[in-house]
Amino acid sequence: MTKLVGGDGRTHITSPLMRESLQDRRVVATTDSDRDVHIFPDAALIGIGGQSIFDRGKDAILPLVEEIAAIKERDGKKMVLAVGGGTRVRHTLSVALDLGLPVGGIAQLIGAMEELNAILLNTLLAKHGSMPMQRDHFWDLPLYFASGILPIAISIPPYHFWEPPPEEGVLPQHGSDFGLFQLAEVLSMGQLIFVKDQDGLYDRDPAHHPDARHIPRITLEALLAAPPPTNILDEALFRAWATAKNVRRIQIVNGLKPGMLTRALHGEDVGTVIIKETP
Amino acid sequence: MNERKVIESALSGATLTGHDAGDVNYQPIAIMPDVKVVKIGGQSVMDRGRVALFPILDEIVAARKEGIQVVVLVGGGTRARHIYSIASELEMPVGVMATLGKYIPMQNARMVQMLLAKHGGIYMLPDDFEKLPLYLQLGCVPVMSGMPPFGYWEKREKGSRIPPHRTDAGVFLSAEFLGARRAIFIKDEDGLYTDDPKKNPAATHIPRISVADLVARDLPDLVVERVVIEYLPRARACKELQIVNGTKPGQVLAALRGDDVGTIIHA
Repeated sequence: MTKLVGGDGRTHITSPLMRESLQDRRVVATTDSDRDVHIFPDAALIGIGGQSIFDRGKDAILPLVEEIAAIKERDGKKMVLAVGGGTRVRHTLSVALDLGLPVGGIAQLIGAMEELNAILLNTLLAKHGSMPMQRDHFWDLPLYFASGILPIAISIPPYHFWEPPPEEGVLPQHGSDFGLFQLAEVLSMGQLIFVKDQDGLYDRDPAHHPDARHIPRITLEALLAAPPPTNILDEALFRAWATAKNVRRIQIVNGLKPGMLTRALHGEDVGTVIIKETP
Repeated sequence: MNERKVIESALSGATLTGHDAGDVNYQPIAIMPDVKVVKIGGQSVMDRGRVALFPILDEIVAARKEGIQVVVLVGGGTRARHIYSIASELEMPVGVMATLGKYIPMQNARMVQMLLAKHGGIYMLPDDFEKLPLYLQLGCVPVMSGMPPFGYWEKREKGSRIPPHRTDAGVFLSAEFLGARRAIFIKDEDGLYTDDPKKNPAATHIPRISVADLVARDLPDLVVERVVIEYLPRARACKELQIVNGTKPGQVLAALRGDDVGTIIHA
């Protein structure tokens, strides 16, 4: 039976953290362990780029939609989709920075631009059984999976007005790549695949350097030790991954090349595979 | 293959994955610089009940009557510690812990709202910041949970399952967004000490300290959440944290008037 404890003017409920400061490193260490309970380990989260796919319009979007519909019909794979915002996010940021809005105000604005792409995607996939998923309605996912529904999640994390001041520069740090990573991490989803318009990571930006070398496989540790000069995923994602527990592998594939996403979902090492080695 | 259809802007060519913000000349504005953002502690005040809380609310109402604009955020306390304990044993992910952690500050905020209702206390959801001008012009005292809305999207901190952004972070980040220069934390002690004064009677009080000096001390325990200390030097608006003792009459009102009581931690 739970006991109420007084005596110091406060009423406590007995627990190992009773009366303790949660800022005390010695105290919080007692809450940790080397694993989390796993929630949806056989599900895949697929993030489709805003600038890289959606901003290219119909020619890039429709073949990808057909490929996703085919995977769903054929494999019955448990998938969650999400989208980025692309060039409209950049325009929003430019205007908001010029106006001098605080970083939390800027972060609050971005999600609307991604939602436009989510509506487009859902409109195209609805006949194949897609549905927008409300912000954190994760506990509906077993129902979606069992009934063959393809949920479309919100990518941008709900940091909103509470976006912390950035470590460097003026832009909000917690963007959609980070948001999708956290979604995969908290739900311990087995696969996290980013669909972009290039084959993954390169040692230099392939748009400006024709001789840029493709990186088929790299560890998170190697990436953090020597980050490439331009990266196609948010830095905030890699920093959060370094202290995370569940996501072991992130894959980046070229959505302009038919079949790449399908092969990635089947576990093939196409595009770039990033592996986390340390626990 | 169609090319990307780009809207030209200062950031249209930026990858946004790093810090590159093009050549924008950023001059941040303060949204509501006159607002006092104040936290009522969970364990330190709410769990003490009427004897601790009522005098603090009297001083907040007195400040409001002086025309001071006050926004009250409320912490969690012992029930938060209880659910964190059980959830830790069950090895819940940090995002689930942070989601569980939202409920107790929300209960406490609702309690404070009921007590302040006759003086204009109004319960506010996190996304209701846009209604603050109305509430404050009507003379209301907006009350909300201090917990940031990160929930399932909370990051894990190495060596801990406790969400790093809790109600202190929510208070600081609210002050920073609103453009308040100082975030005020009402606790049951005079601020920073060299050790936990409840456990070590030899601990001594620190009236004013910079973040750099505080970090250099590398204390095993702190009076505010570590992320707040990490963020303070990078803040654009909220450059100071003030910790005041709500069990000493007059301290809260003095702090709301802008006086330097308790401990000031500055960027």
